[in-house]
Amino acid sequence: MKLRPLLLLLIFCLLYSPALGRAQDRLDAIRQRGELIIATDATYPPFEFREKEQLLGFDVELGNEIGRELGVKVRWLNLEWSGVLGSLESGKCDLVMAGVTITEERKKKGYLFSRPYFLSGQTIARRKGDTRIQKGTDLKGYRVSVQMQTTGQFAAERMGVPKDRLSKFDALPDGLMDVRNGKSDALVADLPALKELLRKNFPEIEMTGGLITEENVGLVAWRSSITLMSGVNHALEKIMVDGRYAAIYNKWIGETLTTRVIGGLDKARKAGSDVPEWLNNSGKTAPNDPAKNADKRPNSALSIRWDVIREALPTMGRGAKITLKITLLTLLFGIPGGLLVALGRISRFPFLRWLMVAYIEVVRGTPLLMQIYVIYFVLPALKIDFQPEAAGVLALSLNAAAYIAEIFRAGIESIDTGQMEAARSLGMDYLGAMRWVVLPQTFRRVLPPLTNEAIALLKDSSLVSVVAVAELMREGKEIATNSGSATTVYLAIAAIYLALTLPLTYLARQLEIRWQPISQPRRKSLWSRKGA
Amino acid sequence: MPILEITKLHKSFGALEVLKGVSLSVDEGEVIAMIGASGSGKSTLLRCINRLETPTGGSVVFEGKEVTAQNVNRIRREVGMVFQRFNLFPHLTALQNVTLAPLKVIGTSKEQANRDGMTCLEQVQLAVKANNYPGELSGGQQQRVAIARALALRPKLLLFDEPTSALDPELVGEVLAVLRQLAQEGRTMIIATHEMGFAREVAHRVIFLDEGVICEEGRPEQVFTQPREERTRAFLARVLNR
Repeated sequence: MKLRPLLLLLIFCLLYSPALGRAQDRLDAIRQRGELIIATDATYPPFEFREKEQLLGFDVELGNEIGRELGVKVRWLNLEWSGVLGSLESGKCDLVMAGVTITEERKKKGYLFSRPYFLSGQTIARRKGDTRIQKGTDLKGYRVSVQMQTTGQFAAERMGVPKDRLSKFDALPDGLMDVRNGKSDALVADLPALKELLRKNFPEIEMTGGLITEENVGLVAWRSSITLMSGVNHALEKIMVDGRYAAIYNKWIGETLTTRVIGGLDKARKAGSDVPEWLNNSGKTAPNDPAKNADKRPNSALSIRWDVIREALPTMGRGAKITLKITLLTLLFGIPGGLLVALGRISRFPFLRWLMVAYIEVVRGTPLLMQIYVIYFVLPALKIDFQPEAAGVLALSLNAAAYIAEIFRAGIESIDTGQMEAARSLGMDYLGAMRWVVLPQTFRRVLPPLTNEAIALLKDSSLVSVVAVAELMREGKEIATNSGSATTVYLAIAAIYLALTLPLTYLARQLEIRWQPISQPRRKSLWSRKGA
Repeated sequence: MPILEITKLHKSFGALEVLKGVSLSVDEGEVIAMIGASGSGKSTLLRCINRLETPTGGSVVFEGKEVTAQNVNRIRREVGMVFQRFNLFPHLTALQNVTLAPLKVIGTSKEQANRDGMTCLEQVQLAVKANNYPGELSGGQQQRVAIARALALRPKLLLFDEPTSALDPELVGEVLAVLRQLAQEGRTMIIATHEMGFAREVAHRVIFLDEGVICEEGRPEQVFTQPREERTRAFLARVLNR
């Protein structure tokens, strides 16, 4: 096992590299740096969204005010939702402000919450006039989309929507498109966010049933950032009473701030994490470092959390199964498909040749992600409709066929023309000569690049998660979002991918050996000591 | 009636005209040696007979029927071809090389094809190598398997495109021995060759191809000892004095 030291070194690097970028939890350190880094997911109007290259919204303005109170500039880090909370553990940011609901679950996972700065709740969206869905309890009979690992998903689950009826998307707009296209019947999300999205982009969807949950929204920090959180609470308090909060609220929520809302926020202040009060109002000195009372568990970014893995294993196993299924189905369609495209590409009919070149160029020249999107979200407009998994397999197959076609073409063209001539001179027709003479030799020759393609495909299959297919990467992201130890989860996922590709490689190797005619003795390695 | 009748055959590759009106008539049982310098059109003429190259003018009539794109696959079963570079199928054993066409083209049963295939291999003295792959055979053995492969369809005409040119000198003999034996069996053969001694010994007729036309043809003794044409004389002087 020569590999072992190398492997250990690799794991060591993976585990400890986040430590280099780790921000200090002490407020002083942030002040010294002069910059407060806040992570968000800007697909969530009116809280945070991008417009004309600018990050705007309720959270953004409020966050900037908090920064001003703490005497530092705010740098916003715009991430995908699945990576937002994880960026806290890894120290890529100091705070998260992304309309995050305060839950006991999340607190247990090691996240520290500020006092609530917004009162929100989940509500239901449906196609206009679809009166089958009126209230939360109606949801369980229908297909429901949500943004994955949001309180919208948790609310839908609590309403009894079974797992196989729940479509989990990376961002709310994708989920709303799914409802609009009639693939999902309803969506559950934060009321203010939903309201804004519907107003802007989805006139054919409406809200119904009022609030099905009441939630407190807070800022999030990693569990050791107690002085920071205490400072944030202090700043929030100040901003709420001096009129700035009301101005921001009116501007983004589109309603006048009432005393009822203020009263509610005040009543809910205990919903945040229990951190010491700010002691010195001058803001110059921090309170006695309460970090010493903090959780003494080893920091999760630095060690593998076996408990997290154990808990996540069944889910990851399910995801791995789906990833494998999608990959195998894609190979089943993509290899014969690629062969046909290759044969068309070298046929003597110019039109067919041209068509295949166009196909290959279009497929190779556009992102796979876009192809999946088009097949799932756009084709329904032409009354061509696919279930998520079918859409994923179709897109991947069409994509793989283009690449495999070029592998086959290169393989076929590498076979000496004398082979075709000899076969034809024996009275075989073109297809017979291909079938019995040229292609058998081609298969042997293209096996290594074909294996490459199959392995690349296995990993690319993760892209179908954008249409809510619960494959391995998607499940991993989901677990990582709220796990409190994203590093652990991603390492585990990487290990599973490796475990899936190795048998594939082995299988290809066996085929290669089996197909090797004795006539072509295995080439001696150039490095072999015995020499030629 | 001649088995093969070639009339005013032309073949151009782009601007290059390789065959400039070749006419040739071959009787059943006749062995024809075709000689000429490299590039004189010997290969092209052979390849035009079974339409591996499409002629640009003239006609090829085999057994009274003109060879066309439509009937060529049928006619190729009757016209065996042996290539300079063997072109054996490397993924198949010697026997499989021989039986592939009977199995896939004619639809012979597997037992029958194997039996016939072994007979063909015996004819070239290679029955012992039936289960070896081409890569395990010497050049001479490979070419003999290629001849067996051509024989498997019981062709009425055999075309040999410089069958010994790619061989090491010490391996030429075994292949020529097979050709000699085939000639003695009375098979109809056209052999493009640089082996002048062999041509003289085996052929019933020698044709000398030069610059895309048949420059001279006749009985071997006549062409080799008393060539009528100056160009034939010059060619023979070059190759024989080498």
